[in-house]
Amino acid sequence: MSALIKWKNHHIEDVEVNLLLHALNERYGYDFTGYAKASLKRRLLELVSYFDIEHLSQLIPIMLYDEAVAQTVINSISVPTSDFFRDPFVWLHLRTHVLPELASFPRINIWQAGCGHGQEVYSLAILLHELGLAKKSHIFCTDINPEFLDDAKKGCWSTRNADIWRENYQKSGGNGTLSDFFIEQENKMFIRANYKQNIEFIQHNLVIDDVFKEVQLVICRNVLLYFGTDLQNHVLTLFTRSLERGGYLLLGRGENILNLKEQHLQLELRDTSLQLYRKTMDMDSNV
Amino acid sequence: MYKMLVIGLSAGGTPLIRQLLSALPKNYSLPIAIVAHLPEDHPNHLDKVLDAVTDLPVRTARDKEPIITGHVYIAPSGYHLLIERNHHFALSHDKKVKCVRPSIDVLFGSAAEVFENNLIAVILSGANSDGADGVAMVKKLGGLCIVLNPEDTVFNTMPNAVIRAAEVDYIASIEDIISLLVCVDEK
Repeated sequence: MSALIKWKNHHIEDVEVNLLLHALNERYGYDFTGYAKASLKRRLLELVSYFDIEHLSQLIPIMLYDEAVAQTVINSISVPTSDFFRDPFVWLHLRTHVLPELASFPRINIWQAGCGHGQEVYSLAILLHELGLAKKSHIFCTDINPEFLDDAKKGCWSTRNADIWRENYQKSGGNGTLSDFFIEQENKMFIRANYKQNIEFIQHNLVIDDVFKEVQLVICRNVLLYFGTDLQNHVLTLFTRSLERGGYLLLGRGENILNLKEQHLQLELRDTSLQLYRKTMDMDSNV
Repeated sequence: MYKMLVIGLSAGGTPLIRQLLSALPKNYSLPIAIVAHLPEDHPNHLDKVLDAVTDLPVRTARDKEPIITGHVYIAPSGYHLLIERNHHFALSHDKKVKCVRPSIDVLFGSAAEVFENNLIAVILSGANSDGADGVAMVKKLGGLCIVLNPEDTVFNTMPNAVIRAAEVDYIASIEDIISLLVCVDEK
């Protein structure tokens, strides 16, 4: 029998990451195996100090038997950071170009995929109200994580970032004030009820669940970054099938569809810096 | 033997990186990835500034893009830049590390894991300690670590932090760093 070969720790950690992902999938049905590995590993390794263990793999037996621990692991894998009107130039473009164009549709269905703590979906609701489109619009806000959905549904945030949000909102072309949209109480900001009216919160897993509605706009920012290439392709196909012809897809400004012309014939890039795509009107091309 | 060069800089680093890139020959083969701390949500003009001083192709790194020999890549503002095992870039919007995003530690750490002793890491100047953990990781996995001499910049917090965190291979002037980088690529 030959001697076992010594490995460097970071290679062993890769094995631990894979084992943990398989355990999470088999036990809880959450499949993160198609995620981009480099940043995923960073987030998972933070759990080692959080749970005060020596190796990530020691978390596996705990997680298998303790649902609360598993939820913590799942929460650490999905990344719910956002701000109101983040990247204001993107929202300005939605306000001045995309939404006015969609106004010609009899109904505007919007799929907001990945809800974080809700900042993005309520930014959208505010825009729709300001453009007078709220009554004919319906937003489907989905997330894989029921805890994030509940949180977003509440529509309540700390006032800590209010200055940044005000500045973002103004740069996005807004003329109102934050108090038009929020009620402030004891360092908390609550979204006013009328901005919740046309939002439906739905648990949906982009990895395994199918299209559920025809929509004219899909917004999914800073989600595909976390997916590997195959999973990204799968999800882009899902979005394309969900979109009506002429509808728009908005990704995060750091995102990138590498094989657009080979694999996603029905999507055309409208603006690289915005990462805005449109589903072609062409009847012949296939998804 | 080296396959990748990563460079980190913050306050005071722009003239240094301009000097460095302008001095590299146009057939320089090592791909270069740069993390510079820039204001978030502002358009990133460093690519234009650097493109003007070098014949090497300069671009903002994009998610899932393969790394190409002889190209210079800059981390986009507001995103961490990482390298995957398949030598493609990955961006992430994970929380800030040491109050910054992009983080030098994040790029250097992921590059160290992928390139191990085929990596060169360079720290120029800066007013915080980002880069110290990253350089320590590069050193641990066998990469070559070069730091600007803290006496050569008023923004010396970063080089000093790096020197404290790791046994770096060279503490050098910008001219000597350039000579080293040219020399290792010719080998």
